[in-house]
Amino acid sequence: MRITHYTVCLIASAAFSMASTVAQAETVKVGVIATFSGPNAIWGKQFREAIDVYVAQHGDQAGGHKIEFIYKDVGGPNADASKAAAQELLVREGVKYLAGFDFTPNAVAVAPLTKQAKVPAIIFNAATSSINKQSDFFLRTSFTLTQLAQPAAEWAAKNGAKKVVTAVSDYNPGIDAETAFSATFEQNGGDVLKKIRMPLQTTDFAPFVQRIKNSGADTVFTFLPVGPATFAFTKAYNENGLKGAGISFLGGGETDETTLDALGDQAIGLVTAYHYSDAHNSELNKSFVAKLQELHPGSRANMASVGAYDGVELIYRMVEAAGSDGAKAVEAAKGMEWESPRGPVKMDPVSRTVVQNVYLRRVEKGADGKLFNQEFATVPNVPDLGFNP
Amino acid sequence: MTMPVLSPPKPSRVHAVLGVLMPSVCVLIGAILAFLMFPYDLSFLTRIVIMMILVVSFDLILGQAGIATLGHAAMYGCGAYMAGLLALNVTQDPLLGLLAAALAGGLVAWLSGLVLLRTHGVALLMISIAVTMVLQEVASQARWLTGGADGLAGITIGPLLGLFEFDFIGQVAFIYSVCVLAVILVFCQILIRSPFGLALRGIDGSASRMRAIGTPVYRRKVTVYVIAGAIAGIAGALAAQVTGLVGIEVFNFSLSADVMVMLILGGAGRLYGALIGTLLFMVVHHVAASIDPFNWLFVIGLMLLLVVFVLPKGLVSLPGRVTRLWRRA
Amino acid sequence: MSLILSIAVDGIAYGMILFMISVGLSITMGLMRIINLAHGAFALLGGAVVHLLTTRMEVAFIPALLVAVFAVVLIAVLLERVLFRQIYGFTELGQVLATIGIVFIMIASINFFLGSTILPIGVPAMFTTSVDLGFRTLPFHRLVVIVSGLLVLGGLWLLMERTRFGIYLRAAVDNRAAAASLGINTPYVYLVAFAIGAGLAAVGGVLGAELLPIEAYYPLRYMVLFLIVVSVGGLGSISGSFFASIGLGILDTAGRYLLPGIGTIFFFVAIAVLLALRPNGLMGKAQ
Repeated sequence: MRITHYTVCLIASAAFSMASTVAQAETVKVGVIATFSGPNAIWGKQFREAIDVYVAQHGDQAGGHKIEFIYKDVGGPNADASKAAAQELLVREGVKYLAGFDFTPNAVAVAPLTKQAKVPAIIFNAATSSINKQSDFFLRTSFTLTQLAQPAAEWAAKNGAKKVVTAVSDYNPGIDAETAFSATFEQNGGDVLKKIRMPLQTTDFAPFVQRIKNSGADTVFTFLPVGPATFAFTKAYNENGLKGAGISFLGGGETDETTLDALGDQAIGLVTAYHYSDAHNSELNKSFVAKLQELHPGSRANMASVGAYDGVELIYRMVEAAGSDGAKAVEAAKGMEWESPRGPVKMDPVSRTVVQNVYLRRVEKGADGKLFNQEFATVPNVPDLGFNP
Repeated sequence: MTMPVLSPPKPSRVHAVLGVLMPSVCVLIGAILAFLMFPYDLSFLTRIVIMMILVVSFDLILGQAGIATLGHAAMYGCGAYMAGLLALNVTQDPLLGLLAAALAGGLVAWLSGLVLLRTHGVALLMISIAVTMVLQEVASQARWLTGGADGLAGITIGPLLGLFEFDFIGQVAFIYSVCVLAVILVFCQILIRSPFGLALRGIDGSASRMRAIGTPVYRRKVTVYVIAGAIAGIAGALAAQVTGLVGIEVFNFSLSADVMVMLILGGAGRLYGALIGTLLFMVVHHVAASIDPFNWLFVIGLMLLLVVFVLPKGLVSLPGRVTRLWRRA
Repeated sequence: MSLILSIAVDGIAYGMILFMISVGLSITMGLMRIINLAHGAFALLGGAVVHLLTTRMEVAFIPALLVAVFAVVLIAVLLERVLFRQIYGFTELGQVLATIGIVFIMIASINFFLGSTILPIGVPAMFTTSVDLGFRTLPFHRLVVIVSGLLVLGGLWLLMERTRFGIYLRAAVDNRAAAASLGINTPYVYLVAFAIGAGLAAVGGVLGAELLPIEAYYPLRYMVLFLIVVSVGGLGSISGSFFASIGLGILDTAGRYLLPGIGTIFFFVAIAVLLALRPNGLMGKAQ
């Protein structure tokens, strides 16, 4: 197997591109790995549009370098495709930063590559705490489930909830949410009556909702993947009269802006604990939402958009601080603080996930007839509580 | 389905050996060219090669024996998990991983095949789907073992034969996969040309006649299903070793469906068909998806319709079609 | 007791939706002997048309449903004439490739024009109310679904048993060649059966949208589910489809009530066992 010749060539070309880092102005390429096709294409779409907005607002220069984004579709949770895409981006395109990562396996699959190539990977969404343990080059601008479920439990316990049923989709993120919520809720003196796990593919939730109704709980805490499942679950919640029976709803991403209008008026009043609402009251968020409307009419900002927007903010700051030196850039990112459309955020130096506010929100109908999440309470500066290095 | 075409009687020895080696030689030449022409796309090329192994194994059951299933991902996934678990808990030797995965794939194929192969038609399709779904659900539930939906992570593989480290660019992974494919192709060619292979094609043609001449049809079917399952397991193991992570998506229905589509596209019943169909499907997908990540499905759909209307026997029948048209003109 | 009633009610409502969408598939697969993977696409098209009319043009639900069914039947007739007529003659493998190609194109088209998110359907306000059954409440739209399912069943029974077309259709299902030789215009029978099947899929897709939400990938997401119903019921059998749908609806629902966690495994194991014992389905004829 005479592969040495090629290895030499590649090393030579790599060295050549390294040499060019010394030069002043350079194009720093960012490879965005996400889902642009298939049933989960919404992730890639939101990422890309938010990146467009950031670039339109801040230009394509950072620290004297030109930033260029290259998009790779992996078509859903697909570790093989994700790793191959990352390899292609690193080897052929010479990207200095990886970004995107909507699903956990897609992020974990590139962990060894980020370590070998010393390339930072900014996670725009994937929310399992343990991802960041796999590589020191992971930085997360989204959230983790514990980060949301724990404040939700504290808030519920303080605000009159005594008996809770948890109803989550039966897969890792759902179970993370269930574990974090029930532990915290019980510590705060509440009672978890039942922990219901619902099959991931199910869209008929009547049986589960009926069991929640019969349980005698006053609140149901839920976590489901955004899409048909959240749509059908919130419908089932209303139509089977849980609201009427006085069982309050406490969720997370169920009222995501991209599916909120599809839920219709019956979503009004649903309470969720989450880190971003496109109705967040700040100048920065208003300009972000307005620019998105201008560039992509009909699109709504959601947690994926803000994850990507902040991810790009982070990349720009890292490039400013360290150019294309990955290890230095990660060091520079630790402890960075900035204003995000969701509120103040800080890159936790230990967990490398953003510390952020978690908001309690209620769905309301705006003057324009659109539904939105109105924030009414804030749990400030929550770190990733689930991270254990 | 296809008519049984029996080999011409007693070709010369050299001919026979050449015939057996031909697909592997083609693959090796193609792989060397690809290696030289696309040195930056090795990871994608490796995915094509692994998929080729999977589709070739499916050709043994669908193309040769006429057993149509939609659950080939079952054996692929079990092989992937087996290789991953072995690397995490026992040994990081890649070849032992392949062996274990082949055993796992074969075992699953044997257990499910005992039930599956008593049925045919739609029932067979549906049971094979059900088996895969059950396995996926088990993999999703057994989080302590498989990591659930987050995937079985942290798989590291030792150097190949104790000599070649898996490198960053993916050169060793590519060469390794190509070699495995070449060996499997030789094995399949020998198998197809053996009396056993002829019996399979006979079963595809008419199971009742084969039964009448004393062939134990059911046992032959189970045997080929186990062999195909073992090879599918090897494909899964390669994917696990190259990626270093196994997700529950290895059991996706869409994987089984894609495998079937790739085989029919190329032409079922011919190993070349499996290779060409996989190559075309994956390359068109890759190119279309990089040009327009949102709407590439349209191109794939049109391609499938075009092929099925113009070349009902798959791409592999293209040269024959062209020469026939040529002669007529 | 109320648990059993709950399982029955939820299971029947779920089963009725499966029945409406799958019965057309069962007829066409039994009659034309084709592996048709494109059937769910008609349900998607119906849902997409109603979505467009009710949410973007503010047409009322019932007229929108009628327009959608008409549109889908029209498209189905066109497709039958142009594509499917040829596909009947393909090998089974060719049919798989051709119909999956059609599914891909339809998904890509819906995705292109309407995006990949859920396409909500504007139903009358009454649909979102609940009805008190004594032992529990039931969403009104499920009641609508159950009644519509029974109406479809009755209508199909009348069509099959009481009309000349029904006689032709049954004859053609039993023996295509003999039916043709007796002077039955089989291409016409195929066309009408195909159009009816597509129209029913559209109705089922629209009415079932609360349970199986309409989105671009609908035909692929639920393809396995519809095929399971058809194969358990037996190809070409209306009553088989009905009993299979209700049975599977109740089985799946019972799994969710009683065996959460392993409900999915239970469901698929049950199907595998059933098909292993009765490969032609509950009411199917030997192939």
